[in-house]
Amino acid sequence: MTRDWWKHMVLILGTIIVLAPFYMMVSYSFKSPGEIDRGEGGFFGRQEMMIDPRCAALRQPDRADIEAARARFAGQDDASVQASLLAETEADCSMRPVLFNYSKAFTEAPLIRYLLNGVIVTVSIFLIQIVVALPAAYALSKLKFWGRDAVFGLVLFCLLIPVHAIALPLYIGLAKLGLTNTYAALVVPWTISVFGIFLMRQFFMTVPDDLIDAARMDGMSELAIVWRVMLPTAIPALLAFAIFSVVAHWNDYFWPRIVVTGNRDLFTPPLGLREFKGDGDGSFFGPMMATATVIVTPLIVAFLLAQRRFIEGITLSGMK
Amino acid sequence: MSDLQITSVTKDFGETSVLKGVTLDVKDGEFISLVGPSGCGKSTLLRIIAGLETPTSGNISIGGKDVTQLRAADRNLSMVFQSYALYPHLTVAENIAVPLQMRQMTALQRLPVLGTVMPGARIQKQDIAEAVRNAAEMLEIGTLLDRKPGQLSGGQRQRVALGRALVRDPAAFLLDEPLSNLDAKLRVQTRAEIAELHRRLKATFIYVTHDQVEAMTMSDRIAVMMGGEILQCAAPDVIYEDPDDIRVAEFIGSPKINILPVERNGTELTVFDQVLSSHFYGDSPKVMQLGLRPEALRLTQSAPLLTGRVVHFENLGSEVFAQVALDSDGSRVTLRAMPAQRQSLGLGAQVGLTFDLSAAMIFDAEGARLRRVELAATRAPEVA
Repeated sequence: MTRDWWKHMVLILGTIIVLAPFYMMVSYSFKSPGEIDRGEGGFFGRQEMMIDPRCAALRQPDRADIEAARARFAGQDDASVQASLLAETEADCSMRPVLFNYSKAFTEAPLIRYLLNGVIVTVSIFLIQIVVALPAAYALSKLKFWGRDAVFGLVLFCLLIPVHAIALPLYIGLAKLGLTNTYAALVVPWTISVFGIFLMRQFFMTVPDDLIDAARMDGMSELAIVWRVMLPTAIPALLAFAIFSVVAHWNDYFWPRIVVTGNRDLFTPPLGLREFKGDGDGSFFGPMMATATVIVTPLIVAFLLAQRRFIEGITLSGMK
Repeated sequence: MSDLQITSVTKDFGETSVLKGVTLDVKDGEFISLVGPSGCGKSTLLRIIAGLETPTSGNISIGGKDVTQLRAADRNLSMVFQSYALYPHLTVAENIAVPLQMRQMTALQRLPVLGTVMPGARIQKQDIAEAVRNAAEMLEIGTLLDRKPGQLSGGQRQRVALGRALVRDPAAFLLDEPLSNLDAKLRVQTRAEIAELHRRLKATFIYVTHDQVEAMTMSDRIAVMMGGEILQCAAPDVIYEDPDDIRVAEFIGSPKINILPVERNGTELTVFDQVLSSHFYGDSPKVMQLGLRPEALRLTQSAPLLTGRVVHFENLGSEVFAQVALDSDGSRVTLRAMPAQRQSLGLGAQVGLTFDLSAAMIFDAEGARLRRVELAATRAPEVA
């Protein structure tokens, strides 16, 4: 046992705290409602056949069904026909809990549509953030102009403003422009990221001035320098920023909830989760957790892919 | 065709004045070195010529055209940087092609995907590839064209930077200490190659260095800069043999020139109470300084002008340098001797030194050269 064992203990404890909700989410997405309520079945649940209560309720045989089915069950009285029909319905409506949860996730609400909305919104936000942040960061780090430090001070100051503090004025502004319930409402407020400007500015400070002077000698305009020289050298920093930006806006519940009122076609994935919020008839935890799992999977995959590029990166080793 | 005139250029950074009125005419095809200690303003001057800095006052003109207000990109100059400044994300071939792409292709043709289908783009691309190949062959880096700068050695990067500079036909090449990141052996080799390149291209080269050997070996003319001024601009042999200022004499030459105090007593010039020449009629200042190159000093047994002990000794094989601490005031002078004289220069050996007054340079107390005094002093013994 090394002397550092307690550090590892602390780290393991932290890991457990962080991973526990994910464990619950994935586990619940596999289990039947009964298992979830009773808290049994281990990680995967027993995967026994279960009956979809809503499906069974919708297909309860009524008088007409019994009359129509009388030919198939010749010589039986009404009660036994009804019992046979019920058994058929239950057979049709029973399935494994994992299948039930995930099929419900996709059928109960247009989850694909929500995921697509999430992609449209996060990608547009990220691209516009780059278009704004890179030239701004370049100017703040490499160009000398009057008031540069003051402008950078303002950028730092803006980092201190919490989103929720300006949500109301933003909403009113968008509403006056008639932009609520549009993609623009979801995208526009986030297009200028002071964090992005700050992060890229700090990175650009490390790019040697000679490289920029060389580009000027080669005949590049200042904007050409931003896109042809600074952007390619900044890929690792941009990836870091991409993780922050995409995760924040993919997972954002607060803002879409405010500006998307009613129009379900504009729902982003977190809004989609609300569809499973139980009202009168108890919550659909299984499908809800299946939806949550589907929503976070793209992020985790993207992060793992980016992580490799992140470490390899394009280093500035060619410079000296 | 592309003469370069720098007219009373000054540059202030806030309170500090980095350039104090520099004037320099560079002829077409000339190789001129700006040399001086660090902080003398030579790099700033080069950046002003390049258009990367704007002068506080003064003018730059190229080929008779005033370019002071022109952007760097529009001056048609190319520059090689000390750190090479290659684009790390582009291959060698792409690095060299950049100046041609930026100048010859339209913005539409440069677009990543669309550009390839623009009219004329293919022919342009072929022309550029051809030019890149030629430049690479001239510098013998033809086999490296597909590599990234990160995969190259320092010497190879240096060649790529040169290639990027010479792929187009600039009015002048500006080189900012291009050899200072190379190891000593490679530096000597590349020095010769750059000089050869200059002869082949017959282009104007402006070369900034703090290394006087580079300046001496490559240049048509050397401009010695100190404290934001050009002290002297002349051919290397003139700079060495006939400097205008004691600072030039001290900066150029290795080992450094020996400076001895010299006084005039009536009609006599004396160094440490030794009379150098009597009946000297110059109306010169009382106190002056005498500059003696190490090779101007000779060992002597009879009637030495200076005596001292050898305190340090360097044998370079073909020649020997000895530092002698003078008996008179303990100051050190450096002597260049032949290897044959090694025995008499052992550490601690007592030696006598003499010199010819005609090989000495005389400066006033502030450091300005007094050629008239020298003339009088060297003639005086003959008259006597």
